[in-house]
Amino acid sequence: MEPKIIDFEQGWDYIETGITALKRHSESLPVPKFTLEQYCDLYTAVYKMCVQKSPYDFSSQLYQKCCETMEEYMNSTVLPALNEKLGDEYMLLRELVERWSNYKVLVRALSHIFFYLQRFFIVRESLPSIETVGMGYFRDLVYNKLQSKVREAVLALVDKEREGEDIDRKVTKRVLEFYIEIGMERYEQDFESFMLKDTASYYSRKASSWIQEDDSINDYIFKSEQCLQKEKERVSHYLHFSSEPKLVKVVEHELFVVHENQILEKTHAEKQIGLGPLAKIFKQHVEDTTINAKEQVLIRKVIELHEVYMVTECFQSHTLFHKDLKRAVAGSDALLATFCDRIILKKWGSEELSEEDIEKVVMFLAYISDEKDIFAEFYRKKLALRLLLNRGVSDDHERSILTKLKQQNRGQFTFKMERMINDLTLSRENQNSFKEYVAKPGIGLTVTVLTSGIWPSYKTFGINLPNEMVKCVEVFKEFYETKTKGRKLTWIHSLGTCHVNGKFDQKSIELIVSTHQAVVLLLFNTKDKLSYNDIQTQLNVGHEDLVWLLYSLSCGKYKILIKEPATETVSRTDVFEFNSKFTARMCRVKIPLPHVNDKKKVIEDVDKDRRYAIDATIVRIMKGKKALGLQQLVSECVQQLNQMFKPDIKTIKMRIEDLITRDYLERDRENPNMFRYLA
Amino acid sequence: MRETVKLISMEGFEFVIDREAAMVSQTIRSMLTSPGGFSESKDGVVTFPDISTTILEKICQYFYWSLQYSRGKETKFHIEPELTLELMMAANYLHT
Repeated sequence: MEPKIIDFEQGWDYIETGITALKRHSESLPVPKFTLEQYCDLYTAVYKMCVQKSPYDFSSQLYQKCCETMEEYMNSTVLPALNEKLGDEYMLLRELVERWSNYKVLVRALSHIFFYLQRFFIVRESLPSIETVGMGYFRDLVYNKLQSKVREAVLALVDKEREGEDIDRKVTKRVLEFYIEIGMERYEQDFESFMLKDTASYYSRKASSWIQEDDSINDYIFKSEQCLQKEKERVSHYLHFSSEPKLVKVVEHELFVVHENQILEKTHAEKQIGLGPLAKIFKQHVEDTTINAKEQVLIRKVIELHEVYMVTECFQSHTLFHKDLKRAVAGSDALLATFCDRIILKKWGSEELSEEDIEKVVMFLAYISDEKDIFAEFYRKKLALRLLLNRGVSDDHERSILTKLKQQNRGQFTFKMERMINDLTLSRENQNSFKEYVAKPGIGLTVTVLTSGIWPSYKTFGINLPNEMVKCVEVFKEFYETKTKGRKLTWIHSLGTCHVNGKFDQKSIELIVSTHQAVVLLLFNTKDKLSYNDIQTQLNVGHEDLVWLLYSLSCGKYKILIKEPATETVSRTDVFEFNSKFTARMCRVKIPLPHVNDKKKVIEDVDKDRRYAIDATIVRIMKGKKALGLQQLVSECVQQLNQMFKPDIKTIKMRIEDLITRDYLERDRENPNMFRYLA
Repeated sequence: MRETVKLISMEGFEFVIDREAAMVSQTIRSMLTSPGGFSESKDGVVTFPDISTTILEKICQYFYWSLQYSRGKETKFHIEPELTLELMMAANYLHT
């Protein structure tokens, strides 16, 4: 069965008739209808023309003709129709939308008919598909020429809608879909960007006029909220969803940020509560002012902001502000403690320590902190250092700060710190009595007695004291026994200071060192040279601690001892010699010990404390209630502990388990979620 | 409620098969699902004036086998050698 060779002209004529019918079909014109049979025939015709052996293989001609057809259709039908309607914006849009959808149908049908081409020829020759070509024509011939007009038309409609008129949303939606189908970038560049600009100018006009007219800030806020809502609706009705965030941002900017200051002034004057968007501006404001702020500046700014905006009580209760402010100042507890510390020590120039400053800080703290206990811990440590090393300002000042802190938080917060100050006062009295007790001033010994548990825990290590010091210690012990019986004294030498007179070649210099360091130095009273091992045996100190000590005396800024070999680190084979050549400008020199960064340790300590706190709270609750379900227990816990910190639910559960193993609680036999208190 | 389509060979034989089976052929699929709704796409009658009955029969069998295979039943599809050439051409035409 030899297939009939189809001549191109013939074939094409046949196809062309088919296509004309197709065109009419795509325009939904009534008769004649385009049937499946016709489609089949056309498809077959194309197929045959492509599989014929050359020179009857008409693939490329077919492709060309197909493209020409599409182009011709554009020029003859679509363009004129559109050009007709150029006068009327609205009609233009409608026509565009309709032509576009018709055209799509046509192209789709054509590409199906010519599908065979698609499968082989087009792929082989890497040509653009028929659909792509078709779209290309539409884009080039119609879109590029008309798009600015179209855009204007749409924007005019949008503005109309904003003014309250009803517009044909369907058409608008389809127009925008059209844009998107032409290409997302087209949508963004040719439409969206203009739309955003238009929106901005629209709202900026509105905003200016409203700010002038409106007496009440509430009205303004209300109107703005409404606009925002409407714009969001607009997006859902016909804009592309990706426009939403950009649109919202523009509107917010025009309505709020630009007039930020005016709004806030008005709010201030009226002391009325702000709404959601106000919180947003506020956050923006806070972020703007705290970006790139250095520590000190940051804290100051934050406190200023706090002051400015929190004056009105209403704000304080508004949770939105809480959240925003918190977010903006995350992680500042340690900073805050440092700030307080430094302010008190007047390290920052000649800033007067004012009552107000402290009040502000305290209020701010109360307001902000979720983790008051971390702040407390840091503060306590710094306070301890201040008190012990006599760095602080007067006691009264410290007390007044603590009083303020106490007012804002519950007693527990400042309990320990107050005791610390009391300890010191007590110690001073003690000291005076001690001086009387010792009658003859042979020993210049000052002892500060601290109540353990109140003060932060300090690491100390034992050391063999030289005889003179031992005598001092004994004397004080006796004295203390007379005052109070039954107390155990642990000496924290790491916190002690000694004034040692060093007789160097050039001149005598008084060295201010820690007790441990002094002990090491005193060894050299008898011998000039000592090896590491000698020192260790005589002092009975652990390796790490000894390294630390010797490092400070031989490798630091002031080399009281000469180390052989003169390396940067201390090792077991080193030999130390008294540096008689040492000299310094001043007659009194402080030899510091390398400081350990304790931030992490503080947080660890706090964590431990929290666990104890959770334990105590659980036991307390269970004791009262005897039996309680898991959920209630957890929520009670959270409530009670919320003063100090936000307990982690997981941790609470862990602690419950722990208490069960320690026989404080038991699980109910029937209900695993119920707990009973074990007396 | 399965819909069916009718495939007619050059000699006029009518093969009624499930719509799903017919859709194995891309060509038939696009014919039946074209936008613009060709009339009779609901009735689903397609004439193939160039495909003989034997071939069309084999093709229908292929459709069903293809569906089964894709569902996991891995049987063989036997093709009589003398049918191969025409079958391949038809397959090409039908894009399957």
